[in-house]
Order: sequence, then structure tokens, then C-alpha cells
Amino acid sequence: MTKTGAQCQISLTVNGEPRTVRAYPMERLLDVLRQQLGLTGTKEGCGEGECGACSVMMDGALVDSCLVPILQAQGAKVVTIEGLDQDSRARALQQSFLEYGGAQCGICTPGMILAAVHLLREKPEPGMDDIRQGLAGNLCRCTGYVQIFEAVAAAARRGVGR
Amino acid sequence: MRSDPAEYDLVAPANLQAAVSLLANEPDRWLPIAGGTDLMVQFAAGTLRARNLISISRLPELRRIEAFAEEIEIGAGCTYSDIRKHESVQREFPMLAKAASWTGGIANQNRGTLGGNIVNASPAADSLPALLVYGAELILVSVRGERRVLYSTFHTGYKKLTLAADELIRAVCLPRRFTGYVSYTRKVGTRNAQAVSKVCMAALARLEIGAIHDARIALGSVAPTPIRLTETERLLDRKPLDPSLVRLASRTAVAEVQPIDDIRSTARYRGAVVGNLVTEFLEKLGGTQRMRSVALDRWNGLPMDEAEKEILPCCGSRAWARSMAARRPFSDENSVLAASDETWRSLGEQDWMEAFAHHPRIGESLAAPSATARSAAWSSQEQSDAAAAGDAVKIALREGNGEYERRFGRTFIICATGKSGSEILQILRHRLQNDDRTEIREAAEQQRQISQIRLRKWLQG
Repeated sequence: MTKTGAQCQISLTVNGEPRTVRAYPMERLLDVLRQQLGLTGTKEGCGEGECGACSVMMDGALVDSCLVPILQAQGAKVVTIEGLDQDSRARALQQSFLEYGGAQCGICTPGMILAAVHLLREKPEPGMDDIRQGLAGNLCRCTGYVQIFEAVAAAARRGVGR
Repeated sequence: MRSDPAEYDLVAPANLQAAVSLLANEPDRWLPIAGGTDLMVQFAAGTLRARNLISISRLPELRRIEAFAEEIEIGAGCTYSDIRKHESVQREFPMLAKAASWTGGIANQNRGTLGGNIVNASPAADSLPALLVYGAELILVSVRGERRVLYSTFHTGYKKLTLAADELIRAVCLPRRFTGYVSYTRKVGTRNAQAVSKVCMAALARLEIGAIHDARIALGSVAPTPIRLTETERLLDRKPLDPSLVRLASRTAVAEVQPIDDIRSTARYRGAVVGNLVTEFLEKLGGTQRMRSVALDRWNGLPMDEAEKEILPCCGSRAWARSMAARRPFSDENSVLAASDETWRSLGEQDWMEAFAHHPRIGESLAAPSATARSAAWSSQEQSDAAAAGDAVKIALREGNGEYERRFGRTFIICATGKSGSEILQILRHRLQNDDRTEIREAAEQQRQISQIRLRKWLQG
């Protein structure tokens, strides 16, 4: 195989900190986060944008980091699950996931929390349909979803969306 | 087997001009990539053949939605989230907003683009049936300039497009002409999010005087490309909506599609779903018709004098209006129409004359002094085809009207709906040959037809 591209320098902000990495432009944001930056809270599930385990925020929008070539994250503000540890919404969601049994094996949990934070930012008082739609891109093979939906509804009732 | 990123190159031009220049210089070398929701999946699976990619995800020229008087222009780089949240798109093109909300999940909607969905050319893409029924046009751009193509002629076969190697889709244009249409869209799949459709349908039509007009039905996942159901559409055109038509349309639709068996469904199931969706669409259309009889229920309950006054513009004869109001309550549209005919025939010549006097001369916009505002508005609608006539026809009509008035002593009455100026002129010349007795009956018959049309419009609110 011939080498086509050269590595390039990518500058981005990750969890509020400016970072610079060297990478091939088609490397996945997911791999850069996990391997170069050591942020292993972002999981790889399907690797094809179906399961949401690799969800992160990029410039405020929920995205699957497995589908983002790193060149497209040049200059972007990326937030991973590690970056939410002081976020009031994420902390309240974490608490209600514990109370309602919203996490079992844990692989989907970071993505679920990211998707729920994104939902509550856009819709502080979501109905059950909004919650189902907001989390529809995140698959969980343990809980059967109901506990997760209830956990998000409970967090919303406590007013963390506002 | 996952691809090795070292074997790929990706560049990010700063603007659209730079992107199309790259494509122009080496058109077969570069593949544009926007949100990556299709190409990055191929990359992950080791099946992405193109090695040199151009990132177009951040070109500001592609990320705008602009509303013009005649159309809404959606930049090809707009994401599904941009589309589903856009107020004008939601209001005027709700089926596209809905399809955007069905595509993938939120994370995919934040990245996937309308242009990408079009060039990926999947027969199962949810947004494509909506583009077909809305008559979308694409603006294609290259260093050679821009050209516009109808989306319906752009997607020519399974994964085949009439897109040159140096071209990009810049924007998708939707004509703003579907006010008053009933729309129906449905995705049938394992679930809405993250599941490819088994069948997806978008349909539009309007009801006019109880008949279906401009039915537009498109389906995804039932043929090598998204398709319009042209035979079913033809069958429905200008037909009154009734249960036998619904059954026939459903059967015609099933015969018109060529679905296949695949991992997601079977040809047989897909065919059955197509028939059911067409039925559901037409039932929804019929539901709006039934809802409109709310207008009839209201009229049934009015005091006598108000009921008379409201129905008067449909005919113009006070005796007719009084009789109609006295015959209430009516259960449905058909019984109103039947009662109108019966009443009209039982009236005397004086009453007929009163009705005739409500009409302006054909070819004149000036309302008769006795006409109500509603009657005058209807007159101008009814004469809209005649109004498009050329000057020679208009002059001949004016002369003919004068001759008619000298000969019979009243305005020439004709049910003008759907008739052109020259057709009316021919009929006028013919009727000038009638004797008095024949001609007043002819005029009364024309007034009967006018009243029927006006009653239907009135009942539909």
C-alpha cells in the first residue's frame, strides 16, 4: 500500500483545554481522544454511528466521534464525559442514573449522559417522547431503557435542565 | 477490516471556490465528504475506495437556508438538525422536517447533510420521497458555473446520478406552492431512529370541490430509486374521493412498485404496506373533507334569517335561500346539493331573474350592484380561465354580451368554471340562436350548475 496522506497538526480545545495533536487527517476523533489524549471515558461500540457509545459534544452539538475525521475537528471545542464532571446537569443525571438503575455494564453510560445533557440543554422540561427521541441514537443492551428514561425524567423534574 | 488512516488523504478547502477548483483540476481523484455519516462508516468497514477526500463540512456557502418569494433554498451542507428546526421548512415543507427527524439519531442529525443524503443515493433514504413530491430542484456548482436540475431527473438509477465528477450540489430549492395541500408522510421500519426504512412514503394533494387535485405520491425502499406513483396519481386526478376510488388506488399502487426481499423486509410485505399507506393517505385526505362538514353543522344551527343570508351568495335568489334555510337540518353535502336542485327547479321565472342579476357580465370584473362581496369573489374565480383570454376574444365577448342583452333583456349567464374565453364565446354565439323559452331554460340550467359549485365551495369553508 502506498502512503497517500501526511500527518498534520490539529489544534482543538478538549474539555476547556487547548490541545495540539499530530495525526493523519482521516484518523477518527474517537481514536485521538482515547489513544493520544488518554480520554477513555468515550467508548467504542459499533464504530459506525449506530450505537452512540462514542458520543461527544463538538461545538455544542452531540456527535458520534467514530464518524468525525480529526481534520474536521480542527479548531473545534470538544467536550467528553470527563469534561462534564463539574457540569450541574451531568452531576444530577449521574445521581438519578444511580437511583433509577440507569447504568448496568456501563459501556453506553457516558454516551447516554452526553445525549441526556444535550437534550436538557435544548429542552429543559422534556416529555417522555422527547426523552425517547433524544436518546434514540444511544443503544443499551442491559437496562431495557425504561430505567434510563425514568432517570432522565427525574433529573428534569428536579430542574437541572433550567 | 478497518482502514489505515495513513493510506488516506483529507483536505479542507477554505471556501466553495477552492473546493470546486480542486475538483476541476483532478475530478476523478477527489471525493467530497461532509458529515461523514455514510463515508466514515465505509472507512471503518475498510470499503472506502476513494483515497483522497475533500472536506466540505465547514463551507459557509453550503450551510444557509434562505427564503425567497417563490422558493426556499436549503444549502446542501445543512444538517438534518438545521432542517428539522427551521421554522419555514417546518411550516411549508413539514414532510422534509419530519424525514429529517427520522434520519439516524440526534448525533447523526447533527452531522448528516441533505446534500450528502442525495449523493449517497440510497433507495431507502428518508428525505428523498419528500424532495420528489415537493418538486425539488438542485443547484449544481462547478468552476464552469451553476446549473439547475429537477431532483426527479437527477437520480436516474440504483446509486446513479447525473452529477459530473467536477460538480457539487450547492443547494436544494423547494417551490413555495403547496399552501392548502394535505400532506401525509410515514416511515415503516423496525423503529424510527437508527433503522433503515422498510417503506417510506410522502404524499400531497388538495381537495377542490370534493375532487382530488395534483396528487403527488412518492415512496422509498420499493424500487432501485425513490419513485413517484405516476399511475396512481393519474387515477386519482380530478376524481371525487370515495371508498371505491380508495380501494382502486391502493391496488394500483401495489402493482406500480417493484420491491425486493432483503435483510430488512420482504417484497410481499413491502407491497402490502404500500397499499395500506396509500389507503391511509386517502383516508386522511377524506378526513379533512368530513371535518369540513363542520361548516354545515354550524349553518344547520343558525337562526332562520342568518341561515338565509349566509347561503344566498351561492345562488342569488331570495326565494331559493329561504326555501333552503327552511329545509334544514341537512345531514351531509349531498343532501344540500340535491335540495338545491329541487328548489331551483320549483321556482318561477322572476326568481330566476333575481339570481341572474347577481352575476357580472362575462369578461367584466365589475360586480353586479346586487351581488354580495362573496358572490363577487366567486364570480372572479369562476371567470379566471376566461380572464386569461387574448384581447380579440375579450372584444368579441363584449360585443356578444351586448347583442345578448339587446336580444333577451338580461345578462348572459354561463357556468364559466374551467371554460376558456374562446369556449365561452362559441357557446354565447350558439345561444344567441335560441328562442326565448329555450334560452331562459338554458340560463336556468347554467345557474343551477353555478350554484352547485358554489355550494361545494361554501360547505368546504
